[in-house]
Amino acid sequence: MKYIIASLAFWFIPFIGYAVAKQSTNTNPITGAQTWETHIDGVHFSLTQILPDQLRAFYVNRGFTLEQIEPYVSSCVYMTVLRNDSAPGDIHYISNNWSIFVNNKRHKLKSVDEWVNYYKKTAAKKSAIIAFRWAQFPPEHEYKVGGDWNQGMLSIGLAYGTTFNAIAKWDIAGKEFKATLTGVQCAKK
Amino acid sequence: MLKNKFIQHCALLLTLLTGVSNIAHAQGLPPLTHNLTAVNPALPAPELRFKDLDDDVVDIKDLKGKVVVVNFWATWCPPCRREMGSLERLYQATKEQKVEVLAVNIGEDIDTVFSFLGTIEPSPNFKILFDTDGDSMQKWGVKGLPTTYIVKPDGTIAYRAVGGREFDHPDIQKTIINLLK
Repeated sequence: MKYIIASLAFWFIPFIGYAVAKQSTNTNPITGAQTWETHIDGVHFSLTQILPDQLRAFYVNRGFTLEQIEPYVSSCVYMTVLRNDSAPGDIHYISNNWSIFVNNKRHKLKSVDEWVNYYKKTAAKKSAIIAFRWAQFPPEHEYKVGGDWNQGMLSIGLAYGTTFNAIAKWDIAGKEFKATLTGVQCAKK
Repeated sequence: MLKNKFIQHCALLLTLLTGVSNIAHAQGLPPLTHNLTAVNPALPAPELRFKDLDDDVVDIKDLKGKVVVVNFWATWCPPCRREMGSLERLYQATKEQKVEVLAVNIGEDIDTVFSFLGTIEPSPNFKILFDTDGDSMQKWGVKGLPTTYIVKPDGTIAYRAVGGREFDHPDIQKTIINLLK
């Protein structure tokens, strides 16, 4: 039996290594914020923690009160980058189709529209809500080959410190592609 | 308790001063590229009519005969900040050749924008317009900031760029100048 396992390991470990090598993680030496990134099929995908105090500062500067922005701050927010460097065609994505898994259980993202509608029901200033809307990672977009990209905030909707796997999906003329980041951690409180 | 509150406020104040730039300088940000995407077929540029920093109304309709670079941006948008200096260098290099740059700010007031412009090197001399409600975003099909369109002298859109770019790159300057031929 052990020979069978050893034999399987011989064949599969190189492939496991290949998959792992596509993801990298680094930590900002100043802020301590972590980034998880991968580059696959000509597309770059990364999630960088935005620390709670960074979020508070950003949105208080945009006109929110600390109380107003706290539900968003505590929702596990990432600076998200998706860029079409050299994919085999124009890529199209809808972020609500992306998958988040916590302990193998699928978790649904809270959409930008849901957040905006939530804030429209509060006393938040109109200018603050406009800034909020456009600071989010676009919920849907098409990126041409050669460097079209966006950078924006993505609320995962999980508690501080939660670990999850994220799968970003896009299609090229109807054919689906995906990039997976594993072991991503929400910032701690 | 009071001490904790004091620390919290100090931390928040410190982050208020540094937070935005920290986000902007988060690790792993992609380099700015210099590719423009051709818009085929060329579509007529939507309406664009807003006040500028001098409170004068600027209407893109009045700029027919020129190449117009229309850039949608905000001060809090890291890639917008990164590309702003290159837009000014593009403007300086092409302004004598019937090229106009319009940077449409989304949702901010003059004071915020004015204080931000002083931090940019070189400081922008092109026109900054104010779309305080963000209405132009839908008309122009903008889904994220920054997004930039290059409008031909006949008023149709020739190129689009989603995300930050190095607008002073020779390839982009050449592409823009060629639209005047």
